[in-house]
Amino acid sequence: MDEREVMGIIESILFVSGDPVSVKDIGKVLGMDVRKVRKLMEKMVDTFNFERRGLQIIRVNDSYQLATRPEFSEYIEKYIGPRQKQTLSQAALETLSIIAYRQPITRMDIEAIRGVKCEYALNILSEKGLIKEVGRLDAPGRPILYGTTDKFLKSFGFSSLKDLPEIDQEEIV
Amino acid sequence: MAYSVKLDNFEGPLDLLLHLISKSRIKIEDISIEEITEQYLDYLEKMKKFDIEIASEFLVMAATLIYIKSRSLLPRSSEPVEDEELDPKQELILRLTEYKKYKVISEYLRKREEIYSAVYYKLPEEIVTEEDPDGLSIEGTSEQLLKALLKLLSKRQLVENKNEKTYGIKKDSISVNQRIRQLEFLFWEKEEWNFYDLFSDSYTKTDIIVTFLAILEMLKNNDLEAYQKNPFDDIILRRRDSSNG
Repeated sequence: MDEREVMGIIESILFVSGDPVSVKDIGKVLGMDVRKVRKLMEKMVDTFNFERRGLQIIRVNDSYQLATRPEFSEYIEKYIGPRQKQTLSQAALETLSIIAYRQPITRMDIEAIRGVKCEYALNILSEKGLIKEVGRLDAPGRPILYGTTDKFLKSFGFSSLKDLPEIDQEEIV
Repeated sequence: MAYSVKLDNFEGPLDLLLHLISKSRIKIEDISIEEITEQYLDYLEKMKKFDIEIASEFLVMAATLIYIKSRSLLPRSSEPVEDEELDPKQELILRLTEYKKYKVISEYLRKREEIYSAVYYKLPEEIVTEEDPDGLSIEGTSEQLLKALLKLLSKRQLVENKNEKTYGIKKDSISVNQRIRQLEFLFWEKEEWNFYDLFSDSYTKTDIIVTFLAILEMLKNNDLEAYQKNPFDDIILRRRDSSNG
């Protein structure tokens, strides 16, 4: 099989799956080493971008998924009709920011930073699947530790947590 | 009548402080506690005037500010304090900087949310594979489901035909409660009944419905229990002994 064919196979798997497909699963299907799959996937991502294809391949941690391009959204929405935009509240976004950068973190620590209660915001974020319980702190009461999910990465266009930008100190002061 | 309005344009006392600081165009480090305390208390005063509910967090911050202010008024011991804790003003500045950091990030995330919420994905293909990952296997086919439906429908048809051929006298329909009593008698005679057999003396649509409702009622009251040996098998109803719970 030449590379083109392998890429074609991967593309069809991504299409059928709809959901993100892990590098491990692709490797299993193709009988290929995981590292080789990763390399090939990066090449596919580049090819899709270079050829300005209508679909892009996005990476979420160690999985890949087919998705439309945000720059075409205007036309997609023209076709499907106006979309109801559900944006997060300021409280939820602030809470999410703290969790993204400081995970794993307890509710008390989040509240200490924000200076207000965050229970409601945490509920909303959990409901939307953007955060999850990642463990318990080994302290009295064993408080829940929160972390972000793959859905968080996808919803904000990150491939992994490493993509979160450094915070510009200048902008803050 | 007093009415209260809850303004949520400030996400808490730190947010309000940051707003006051940015309004006076100073850096966080350079805040003057006297000024900021005055402005902060002014704001709370205004909120009170408009009958706006003041969250306890705002009051705690007011207390902190007044504490820092009063501390600065007290004469300081000349020697460097072997102070156990951080200077409360420094601590407040640290908290404000830290909070501001996440406010900046949240603005950044808001922009990204808007862009990436317009990315669309495809739903997975619905393919029934041989091995079900959930281990929840459904034994039976759509034909079996169809058969079960036809069985019920044909029963009704049969009954309708019967009605036509026999006398034109309509049976008095009975109430659900009456039917429950009849069924109780049946289950007293025999502990287990096939679901379909219970309909064998239901001649009209109403009879079928009444019998069905009676069965549901009895199940709800825990007089009966229902089970199936296999999916799409006939449902078996069994009497539950109330004494056994």
